[in-house]
Amino acid sequence: MNGIGTAAKRAGLKTAYGFIYKLRIEKALAYRYDVFSGIIMQCIVMFANAFFWRAIYSGYETVRGAAVSDMLTYTIISSVMAVFLATGVEQRVMKSVEQGTVATDLLKPIPLFAIYFFEELGTITASALLCGLPILVVGSIFIVVPLPADAMHALLFACSFLLSFLINWLFAALFSLLAFVTINMSPLLQIKKHVLRLLSGGIIPIWFFPQWAQNLLRALPFVYIYQLPLELYIGRLSVPDALRQMGLQLFWVLILLIVFFYVQKRTMEKILVQGG
Amino acid sequence: MDRIRYYVDVTAFQMKLAVMTMLEYPANFIGWLLSNPIQFLVGFGTLKFVVQEFGSINGWDYGQLAFLYGLAVMSHALSMLFFVQGWFMGYYVIEGEFDRFLLRPLSVLYQFFFTQFNINGLTDLIPGMIVFAYGCKAVDFSWNIRNVVSLLVILAGATLIRGGIYIMMGTLSFWTKSTNDFAGFTQEFFDKTTMYPLSMYPRAMQLLLTYLIPIGFISFYPAGELLSGMGSGGLLTMGIGVGMILLAGLFFKRGLRGYESAGH
Amino acid sequence: MDAITVKHLTKEYRLTKKGTGLTGAVRSLIRPQKVTLRAVDDISFSIPEGEITAFIGPNGAGKSTTVKMMCGILKPTGGEILIHGKNPAKERTQVVQSLGVVFGQRTQLAWDLRLGESFELMKHIYQIDRGMYEENLKIMDEILDISQFIDTPVRQLSLGQRMRGDLVAAMLHSPKVLFLDEPTIGLDVEGKYAIRKFIKEINRQKGTTVILTTHDLGDIEQLCKRLIIINKGKIVEDGALDELIDRIAPCKNLVVEYYDENYVQHDKAQIIGRNKNIVTYQFRKSKITGAGLICDISDRAKIKDATIQETKIDDIIRIAYGREC
Repeated sequence: MNGIGTAAKRAGLKTAYGFIYKLRIEKALAYRYDVFSGIIMQCIVMFANAFFWRAIYSGYETVRGAAVSDMLTYTIISSVMAVFLATGVEQRVMKSVEQGTVATDLLKPIPLFAIYFFEELGTITASALLCGLPILVVGSIFIVVPLPADAMHALLFACSFLLSFLINWLFAALFSLLAFVTINMSPLLQIKKHVLRLLSGGIIPIWFFPQWAQNLLRALPFVYIYQLPLELYIGRLSVPDALRQMGLQLFWVLILLIVFFYVQKRTMEKILVQGG
Repeated sequence: MDRIRYYVDVTAFQMKLAVMTMLEYPANFIGWLLSNPIQFLVGFGTLKFVVQEFGSINGWDYGQLAFLYGLAVMSHALSMLFFVQGWFMGYYVIEGEFDRFLLRPLSVLYQFFFTQFNINGLTDLIPGMIVFAYGCKAVDFSWNIRNVVSLLVILAGATLIRGGIYIMMGTLSFWTKSTNDFAGFTQEFFDKTTMYPLSMYPRAMQLLLTYLIPIGFISFYPAGELLSGMGSGGLLTMGIGVGMILLAGLFFKRGLRGYESAGH
Repeated sequence: MDAITVKHLTKEYRLTKKGTGLTGAVRSLIRPQKVTLRAVDDISFSIPEGEITAFIGPNGAGKSTTVKMMCGILKPTGGEILIHGKNPAKERTQVVQSLGVVFGQRTQLAWDLRLGESFELMKHIYQIDRGMYEENLKIMDEILDISQFIDTPVRQLSLGQRMRGDLVAAMLHSPKVLFLDEPTIGLDVEGKYAIRKFIKEINRQKGTTVILTTHDLGDIEQLCKRLIIINKGKIVEDGALDELIDRIAPCKNLVVEYYDENYVQHDKAQIIGRNKNIVTYQFRKSKITGAGLICDISDRAKIKDATIQETKIDDIIRIAYGREC
């Protein structure tokens, strides 16, 4: 009896998640103009970065082991990744704190952050199709076809990117909890958005950074968001090195997961005590 | 003349209200005071690593880049103070927020920008001035009267050019009826094209950003003039700025004709 | 003289039809469908100076659109509006100088600042001279008692206090015409009372022409001499409330309780229900008065109790809404 009940409940939850996910796709599609302007603007940013590398590489073949073609591939793939790595969970939490709906959200039978996660997946599926794909196509036509180093590295990239997505989302979710203690999150979000991409090698690969900065950044989880998958894609790492790095990446996923659950539990307990 | 005195009077009072509002939320202001400089300084700091590795980009060394970057960020900060609303015009259109402006005996565009000064925008001025000062020192910029006046004229003109473009982009919302998310990408587009040498872009794009959308006159051409000590002394930037604002005003007027309030 | 003249006013909207579901969303992304909606359909009326007029109608009937066109927010598709001889679509800044407008659901007060700052702002915007400003503030303070919360930040005001603040802000420059869009929405009894008292007083003291839209029938009963009912973009009723009641509900009911089951018939009243010794008569107001009927009946039988049932005002409005013209 018990088993059936749990199974039914789980099936119910699955449909609930599915619905939240679908709802977000429809919502994203509703903003026709936003989609087009989003693609155009993101492409412009990608072009700017590509032209930057072309200009600065004039007269150079390879610098620090990377040729200009590597940097162009790096730029295109980084732009596409950015579509997947744009998180909405912080805004979501911020809004529900502002409007005071957290307490009612907590009463729903589904864990709060599970809802947010599936909403995020919905938004991302929509933006992957509507923005990611066009960016990839435009980049391929006008900049360079961003081919991976080889099939093996492409596979490694895919696996590693899955982990980067989790690191990125967990970090965002963790960050979103700040909404409960801060009055205004917007400045913090701005810093996070820009500094995170810079420190994770999303714009300038950290191999251009001085040694001390590289050592420092490699001790933090951020390089595993952009830098590692991109390094894998352009084939800078041998397979054993890659696997070792991905092990570290997985390690960071687990660490962040533990930290997130702990901090989230503490925060929620505090809210329930205060009564929202 | 009376009309001008009237607008000056209202503007002065609105500025007073803006300062009072800011003082209601000091934590908010402090937040931006920290976050905006950090963003720009980290961005420009990391650029140093690359430029030093290669020596220069299109003939601009790191000191000259700092001069260009600082100049761009300063006019960006001023445009944030006066014109940032342009980014959010779509919201005003959809939510029917122009209703109130239409009910007051002042120009609608004037009210749109001047009923809420974004004092927080001034926090961008800090990193701008820091990087610019660094650049001035690196290129041995001479602070003679001509240069100082040119600099001020350039900053004013550049702010108007930015403002004009923001207005025109925002005005599109009257037709699209959507809250376009200009904030993120507009800033990035302007950052990329004003804080780095325009010459790194292909010829067609340089022409486009010179003759069609005069972004080049915000920082790239004026920085070149100031660094070489030749040119119009910023008058070109100023002239284009005034022209852009007038054009934007006409375009806005056109768009407002199609305004449909909200929830009829 | 007429404060407002409206001739053959029409407003059309072009709307994009949104598809339903995921396929619909994709379809409207590729090819959006446009439809034309006629929100206001050739309406004409005029409002004399110093009158209080209510615009009522179901949601989406076009009353808000009409009011928004009258105060210059929306441009008519066709027809003409004159406010004291001036067209708001053409001379906006001049027309609005003589208008006060309050939207019940949207405040014009500066949210984060003390209420008084918003009044000061009005002083600058409408270039109100100190004397007039202070006199107006004094008059309105007497009616609305705003001085007790004039130093409170607007965000901390109750809805009723905020609404009073909004009314004051709208009247500081002594406008000749006051537009109120659902001024009592969401207010408690006391709040509604204060707002209605203010409207009546300001209309009496300053002769301000007042146009209001409302869903609150109390507003209509207590404030308005004239009622304009709009439905589906057209005026379906225009006139005094009493006349409207007489026309829509020409009959009243009289419920009489007798001591026993012996009841009387009356040639000017029809019996529409009987439950033991309680009998309900229906009579035409034009044929006999309620008092006359009671007199006649009590002459012929001993009665315990008699109640006259008026048709409820909301029923009358509902009947009017249901009408096409």
